[in-house]
Amino acid sequence: MLHRTSALVLTAVLATPAMAEEFQWAGRTDPQTMDPHAVSSAPVLGFLNNVYDGLVRMSKDMKVEPSLAESWEPIGDGEGWRFTLRQGVTFHDGAAFDADDVLFSYERASDESADVRSWFSPVTEVKVVDDFTIEFYTNAPNPLFPASIANWMIMDRGWTEANNAARPDKENGNFATLNVNGTGAFKLEDRQPGLTTTLVPNENWWDEAEHNITRATFTPIQNPATAVAALLSGDVDFVEPVPIQDAARLEASDGVNIIRGIETRTIMLGFAHEADTLKYGANAGDPNPFKDVRVREAVAKAINVDAILQTIWRGSAEAASQLVTPALSGYSAANAARPSYDPDAAKALLADAGYPDGFGFGLKCPNDRYPNDESVCQAITGMLAQVGISAELDAMPVSNYWPELRADNFDMYLLGWSPGGSLDHEHPLRFLASTPNEEKRLGSWNFGGYSNARLDELLPSILSEIDPAARQAMIDEVTALYQSEHAYVPLYTQPLVWGTRDNIELTQRPDNFFILRWVTVN
Amino acid sequence: MLSFIIRRLGQSLLVLLVTGLIAFSMFRFIGDPIDNMLGQERTIEDVERLRTQLGLDQPFPVQYYRFLENAVQGNFGVSYRQGRPVSEILLERAPATLELAAVSGLFALGLGIALGVFTAIRRNGIASNFIMSASLIGVSLPTFLIGILLIYLFGVQLRWLPTFGRGDVVDFGWWSTGFLTESGLKSLILPAITLGLYQMTLIMRLVRSEMLEVLRQDYIRFARARGLKDRVVNFRHALKNTLIPVITVMGLQIGGIIAFAIVTETVFNWPGVGLLFINAIQFVDIPVMAAYLMLISVMFVGINLIVDILYVFVDPRLRVDSAGGH
Repeated sequence: MLHRTSALVLTAVLATPAMAEEFQWAGRTDPQTMDPHAVSSAPVLGFLNNVYDGLVRMSKDMKVEPSLAESWEPIGDGEGWRFTLRQGVTFHDGAAFDADDVLFSYERASDESADVRSWFSPVTEVKVVDDFTIEFYTNAPNPLFPASIANWMIMDRGWTEANNAARPDKENGNFATLNVNGTGAFKLEDRQPGLTTTLVPNENWWDEAEHNITRATFTPIQNPATAVAALLSGDVDFVEPVPIQDAARLEASDGVNIIRGIETRTIMLGFAHEADTLKYGANAGDPNPFKDVRVREAVAKAINVDAILQTIWRGSAEAASQLVTPALSGYSAANAARPSYDPDAAKALLADAGYPDGFGFGLKCPNDRYPNDESVCQAITGMLAQVGISAELDAMPVSNYWPELRADNFDMYLLGWSPGGSLDHEHPLRFLASTPNEEKRLGSWNFGGYSNARLDELLPSILSEIDPAARQAMIDEVTALYQSEHAYVPLYTQPLVWGTRDNIELTQRPDNFFILRWVTVN
Repeated sequence: MLSFIIRRLGQSLLVLLVTGLIAFSMFRFIGDPIDNMLGQERTIEDVERLRTQLGLDQPFPVQYYRFLENAVQGNFGVSYRQGRPVSEILLERAPATLELAAVSGLFALGLGIALGVFTAIRRNGIASNFIMSASLIGVSLPTFLIGILLIYLFGVQLRWLPTFGRGDVVDFGWWSTGFLTESGLKSLILPAITLGLYQMTLIMRLVRSEMLEVLRQDYIRFARARGLKDRVVNFRHALKNTLIPVITVMGLQIGGIIAFAIVTETVFNWPGVGLLFINAIQFVDIPVMAAYLMLISVMFVGINLIVDILYVFVDPRLRVDSAGGH
């Protein structure tokens, strides 16, 4: 809602009538930078998808489709990937796009100062074949490579170097932090960090425009009540996310539509697998019961996920059986069943494991990271108490939460995981299920230290297998493994709730990216 | 006299240093900024590297010392979130907060005095009693609730006024003003009322009780006995003598208005320094938090210092007991 004009052009601006297709939208978080390689976070990458393009992009139903690359094929028997680039594409400043820009963007995005450089850890060499052909060589066959770079955005070498932004600088910022020169469907007209960001259509975009927007303004509104009021009053056309408790009321009001979907993030419970003793609660200092698979299974059976979905989520979330949702590739349909709610069986398992009277322990939980995170933990605490194990709940803001988990200060914890990057089952396998290994960059979010030799052995083959059926067979095996060992207790998948004025048509993508080029204002 | 001012300056400086020290020792409890700055795919190695780079591995007195060292040279560091100099960001956000504070201050002063005088003169009227009771509600409701109620009524139901933001602004150099556009002025109304309501009721009650006090004085009775008109007695003689404490209180409240703008700015998404501070807390943006807290304490300490010095000028008795002994 904040437009800025200089005093000189004020009269001219006041005289211009507002155009019908101006689009105002509000989100929770301001993208902290306009540099597509500096920060790997959903608000930044989601926003910049509107102004920058990658070699490939995700379609409305999360399939990989051509973007700046018209086609791609494996080199030899999986030594890498060859991309054929689109011709006649120009950047917003008019400069022509070619393979050299791709090479430059690779160098920039894989630099130590780039947050996104892990996307390129399998890449050993990049070769420019000609102006519109480029080859990426990988250390092993990598069937997922094209999908894993869907958010890698291409910058212009000339513009970036001329403005001293050849490398990202997150700490001090540079020209690319505030300015954009992409090939995307929209151009950056005005950027005021934390306040408003204004986009206008790129008339020279290489693809056919589906939208009818003439100007779009984004405002971060942190207070959910303010955002809802702004949507109701028509001050904004689109708001995300809409608080769950307001969704039903908004649905009933005139002029507003609610769009619901299921996100890619799975919420789960994690255990201390490695710790020898409990750290919190009544039995602090005693041997760690969670090392026993029967105790972990008892926890899984003691939690009534359906009740959590009904009461806390009001029916808008879905129960989860594994570390990814059915919408993502690599989902193991063979292992779609989750442990049934059975408190008696849980008590029997606990007695069997030598805890007929239960025990006390500590449950760590964030209170501002995932929607309803603290309420879910409270519900879980109550459910566990019914089978005799009493959790001492410690909920805290997320900025305190990760340091606690990194320092191993938990017996059990709540975690959400969205497979950014590849959007495939391999992603949580690599980060959550693999034995932690700093050198190989594996298991960096596996705080509890879960370790399974067979899973570790199969992971490299899963990453490099080209044949989809053979790959899925291995993923199925690994999924069955971590499920039977109850490495984690997957709980549910979060819903996506967006609100729009009823004259707006748009597409909600499961990765929660808001893509402006799919918006129609009626 | 000079030694008094020097001593006060020294005390003010000490207060500032202690405030900063407390602030810095608190930052550790707000959390760790590193996780917000690095993505999901960071390694433990990246975490440690960035921590060293930002100097966060140092104990807080060292961090505080470094901050002071830079702050004295006018360098408040670079925001962790925005990657831009903090001084630049603060300067960009200050006009919004200052304009809001000025408007709500004027609103509080103007309406507060008017209503205070009215309720004092007609102390037993129905309207006065109604205003007095209504003001109790104004004092007891929390700011964010008043803000939400106003938004719901005037923004959502009646659609007279915008629900958030500052409207169109016009730039004069680094200063941006919302006073010159229609949408800018409309946007000011609700936040200014929300922010100034508490001060307004405070001034109203202060003016009323002072006025009642003054109206009992002999010189007022004497003025009435001389046959002066009510209007002259009430406004020329009574009100003038009422205003001295009001001005003192208001001076001290200016600081409060700017500091408490945080809540109002959050509710109305008002792009001022308060909103910046709230966002900084969530992101654990230590340079922004530190600069904001120092700025606010400099402001409070400064206002108090000026008031103290003014008292000395006004009240000669305070000059006698200075340390040297005349």
